[in-house]
Amino acid sequence: MMAMLRVLAGIAFAHLWVRARATFVATLGVAIGVGFFLAVSGMMVGSQKDFIRTLIDTAPHIIVRDERRAPTRQPALTAFAGDAVRIEGLRPQEEVRGLKDWPAMLADVRAQPGAQVAPSLSGAVTIGYAGRTAAVALNGVDPRLEGRLTKIDETLIGGRLSDLEARPDGLIISRPMADRLGARLGDTLVVTASTGALQRMRILALIEPEGRAGFYAGDAVAYGLLRTAQVLFTRPNVVNQLHVRLTDPDDARLMAEVLEARWGYKWESWQERSADILNLLVVRNVIMYAVILAILIVASFGIYTAVSNSVADKRRDIAILRAMGFSAFDVQAIFLIEGVAIAILGAVMGFAIGTGLLEILARLPLSIGGKPLVLPLDRGLGQYLIAGGASMTAALLAAWLPARKVARVDPVSVLRGAA
Amino acid sequence: MSVRLEGRGLTRRLVDPEPFTLVDAVSLTVAAGELVAIVGPSGCGKSSLLYLLGLLDRPDVGEVLIDGQATSALGDRARTRLRLERIGFVFQFHFLLPELTAGANIALPMRRLGRLGEAGIEARVDELCAKLDLPDLKGRRPDRLSGGQRQRVAVARALANDPALLLCDEPTGNLDSANTRRVIEEFGRLAHEEGRAVVCVTHDEGFAQAADRRIHMLDGRIVAQT
Repeated sequence: MMAMLRVLAGIAFAHLWVRARATFVATLGVAIGVGFFLAVSGMMVGSQKDFIRTLIDTAPHIIVRDERRAPTRQPALTAFAGDAVRIEGLRPQEEVRGLKDWPAMLADVRAQPGAQVAPSLSGAVTIGYAGRTAAVALNGVDPRLEGRLTKIDETLIGGRLSDLEARPDGLIISRPMADRLGARLGDTLVVTASTGALQRMRILALIEPEGRAGFYAGDAVAYGLLRTAQVLFTRPNVVNQLHVRLTDPDDARLMAEVLEARWGYKWESWQERSADILNLLVVRNVIMYAVILAILIVASFGIYTAVSNSVADKRRDIAILRAMGFSAFDVQAIFLIEGVAIAILGAVMGFAIGTGLLEILARLPLSIGGKPLVLPLDRGLGQYLIAGGASMTAALLAAWLPARKVARVDPVSVLRGAA
Repeated sequence: MSVRLEGRGLTRRLVDPEPFTLVDAVSLTVAAGELVAIVGPSGCGKSSLLYLLGLLDRPDVGEVLIDGQATSALGDRARTRLRLERIGFVFQFHFLLPELTAGANIALPMRRLGRLGEAGIEARVDELCAKLDLPDLKGRRPDRLSGGQRQRVAVARALANDPALLLCDEPTGNLDSANTRRVIEEFGRLAHEEGRAVVCVTHDEGFAQAADRRIHMLDGRIVAQT
């Protein structure tokens, strides 16, 4: 079998060598297709991975809020299930917002493998400085626990999240918000809650939007100490959010579903929170792969032409091989090998071109807001396998179409014509 | 002598572009060790008969038997295998693969059959080159060989798998008189000394005279045997 394959491959390579120029053009087509596939997909997949990594690193993997997905079922509906029950004039019960039994929930999450959790109290406040005011969402957090959950520290300038422990009146706001207010690091702001409570708080650190490319919660987000927020919102011992971080972020969706079923509140995984973005990434990937595959298919036209011309030129050889005792499949294999050889050679050249392009992209002197930016590129083996596999599939198809004609070559007609 | 090849009532018709009978109810036998020449004017059906006998074409009516084995019911794969093992073809034009050396051309049928290892194939190529007076030529490509050498390489390739039946279509049609004589002698030797059944379509009167038997054809029919 291997000896036979060597014979067929020998004939195929001889055909390719004789038509060296056509072979080179077809190979170059595949090489350029594979090269650009690697460059474009490396860039797209790299940015996507970096984006998701930032999404996962910066924010909690699961956020529990004091909300429920559906209103509480009325007891009358349960008692008279199946009967015609109509409830009118229903008014929601006035209740203090916050997560009931949150210490038990905290303990439950901590019991989950690979899970870390931090409580928080969030609410809307107005911050004022030098006559200017702005509305922000204040997150009262436990700096020690929250610091383990997110990489917010990487986005801070002038201080750290843990600085809040030493300064209960400390506040962290975004740098754009500080610019808008005309405030600087160390300045004292007036923070007013919706209850009318008022507190002076000092800026300990600023969140820099460009500190970490990709994810930024927005200008109108501020961080303070949990106890301070509880005082400000007059909700002692109340938390309205739990932030959960997992060792494996992919477990977030399933764990959120399980814990939501157990505790009732809305447990929102990072996948659910970012569903729109993730769906957009899927659409982007579909478009990217469709365009790149189209490039490879166009490249495979070169293979089709090369093999098709080879079949047309070698009708006499096909006839003599058939007369000699080679089956139609044997002869077809010669032309398939020609296509595969071009694809392999083209893919290897394309790998070199793609690697070179990725190297150039990695060294491009880009910057955002004056800060140097290194393009996130995916140079993983997977991209090479996809590029190689796609070019091989396209090449096999491109070679198979003309190779089918071999079976239709009638040796007698050819030999009679040749004679 | 045992019958090596038999054709029974072979008829082959063409319908396109217009109805035409290439071979019309031809029956013949060829024994082992016999050199038979098929002669007749151009277009009388000699080559068509040869293609039927060599299982390259199928008769519309009739049966071809090789060593007593009927072939009409065989599928394409079995007929291909039979050609590979039992039949060697030599054509007017050498039909060597131009990309391969003489030695590689000769080795092709052996490599396809796969009975011999690489060393065995090399030895057989050397043996055939020696037998057909092709010394030191196995490394040359066909375009570096003379017409007579190319045809002898084609004969060597036809003999590679030691076929019992050798079918030749105008094998001397492109050769000068010296090479023609040489090929005629070689075919005589292959039939008489090696016991092969050799059937040659020829216009060459000398070749026909050298054959053990001559089958005369006209308009697709056998009109005489001498």
